[in-house]
Amino acid sequence: MPFENEREEFERRKAVASAMGSPARLAERKAKGILNARERVALLFDAGSFTELGQLAVSIRPEMRAKSPADGVISGFGRIDGRMCGANVSDFTTLGSSSAEIHGKKQHHIRTVCEKNGLPVINLMECAGGRIPDIMGAAGIGRAGEGAVYSRRRVTPAIAAVLGLTYGGGAFTCINSDITIMRKGAVLAVSSPNVTAVAISEDMDPEALGGWRHHSETTGLIDLLADTDEEALALLKKVLAYLPDHHGEREPDAGIPPGAEEAVTRMLDLLPESRAQVYDMRKLIAAILDPGSFLCLKERFAKVAVTGLGRLRGRTVGIIATNPMFKGGALDTDACDKITSFIVLCDSFNIPLIFLADTPGFLVGAESEKRRLPGKIMTFMAALELSSVPKIALVLRKSYGQAYLNMAGGKADTTAAWFTGDISFMDPAVAVNVVFAAKREDNPQGFDDLLRQVSAATTAYSLAEPFMAHAVIDPRGTRDYLAAMLEVHARRLTNGVGEHRLAVWPPAY
Amino acid sequence: MSRRTLQSEITGKVWKIEAAPGDRIGEDSTILILESMKMEIPILAPIDCTLIELLVEEGEAVKEGQAVAIIEE
Repeated sequence: MPFENEREEFERRKAVASAMGSPARLAERKAKGILNARERVALLFDAGSFTELGQLAVSIRPEMRAKSPADGVISGFGRIDGRMCGANVSDFTTLGSSSAEIHGKKQHHIRTVCEKNGLPVINLMECAGGRIPDIMGAAGIGRAGEGAVYSRRRVTPAIAAVLGLTYGGGAFTCINSDITIMRKGAVLAVSSPNVTAVAISEDMDPEALGGWRHHSETTGLIDLLADTDEEALALLKKVLAYLPDHHGEREPDAGIPPGAEEAVTRMLDLLPESRAQVYDMRKLIAAILDPGSFLCLKERFAKVAVTGLGRLRGRTVGIIATNPMFKGGALDTDACDKITSFIVLCDSFNIPLIFLADTPGFLVGAESEKRRLPGKIMTFMAALELSSVPKIALVLRKSYGQAYLNMAGGKADTTAAWFTGDISFMDPAVAVNVVFAAKREDNPQGFDDLLRQVSAATTAYSLAEPFMAHAVIDPRGTRDYLAAMLEVHARRLTNGVGEHRLAVWPPAY
Repeated sequence: MSRRTLQSEITGKVWKIEAAPGDRIGEDSTILILESMKMEIPILAPIDCTLIELLVEEGEAVKEGQAVAIIEE
């Protein structure tokens, strides 16, 4: 066969790159049940669809060329469930997939091509941080910044998974993604415990510094949790299916699953008749949406607010709800941040928003004010007002005060209330106290008369009479109503594509 | 066997206590119910556990973040 020497050289180089880092480190991972970068690529992409770029790229430092296959990151393009995507997959066995010049250049190329051509970006991250000695000295850190672009305009969706120790650049890539999945046992932080220990004399357990509990419950910086690499990649595929390839289109239609109209018929059994009793809003959401379609994001963070993607008759919708099960449904500062970031996500990718309100209002008090509640409420409101996707507001039970407006009451394309709706500037019982300076213990009869008087004007019908609620509906008719309104407010003039005024909003709050 | 302290997520009043020390409690079962903002807000067992100690009484005012019960997995 001709070109024998050339073929040999070509195959030799390919084999070196494909082998990744040291066999010992690869074996160590295998023993722990953690996939290596090439196994992750194989699992994520449709068989035979991945085209790798930069496979033969290596470190810019001549003495490191032999030790830096692909410079620690597998980059390329392939199909996920038939859809072309770009991907950067960290190879931790090669220099800890640390950030360095060629390593960064490869990732930047993938992101740029995706943005130019309307392809989703997948980031499977592990990263030891900046590479030593590349990053050292003035020129080292200066060079690191020269080629880097951190800001995004959310032209195409970016989905990330934190799949190991992920510091510095790898962590920032996850933060800059629209949805981030974390495998339990992985760590996401600015710098490693070693650096932290030296820099600020603080000994830290990596889990406490940036483990899954920390990020899913306290910071809210991750959206979804997985127990294994395999589960994380399956979740990533699931997430992608809700999203379009780019901001200039709608997502693929998933079709209506069988039995989709059944659960909503039992809605009256899910809602307690006593207004003082709480319930888990997630059960109602599951009954409203296509069966099995609700994917709750940041579920363990700011539980008062429920945000998630789901489908109604096959099309993606974003759900923003209050959950009376936690803090009675009173919105706090973390809940405001959570909702704001979700509005930004949905508005950027043409996902209609459905607001389900059952809230006594914003959680007032000294602690809330200290945490900048007024600022958070207004940022939430700005996101709501500036968003241009179709919005439907539905009041399920109570919706009081500014929270009524923030939950899109009167702000959405259309507002409706269940016949159980109760809308006012505050809880009627509190209002009697405040407005009439009356207390039940002083004069029970007088208090109850005033309460009846105040409550009479807070019903769903009181909102419908001045055409502020466009409809009062039976909870069992929720799916029909929402589907009809989504069809009406479908933004036909632009094929369902919005104006994306929030596309340049911050990646985190 | 690890012990955990459960905290109130909200400022309010202890309305009703539904479990006693020594009780075996299933995940998501109610330990006690707070009254806040005119609502009955339950404090649930986060996991299957045994209630070791109650740190509050019925009628007592609690603040956000205040420890209300100790459980053991």
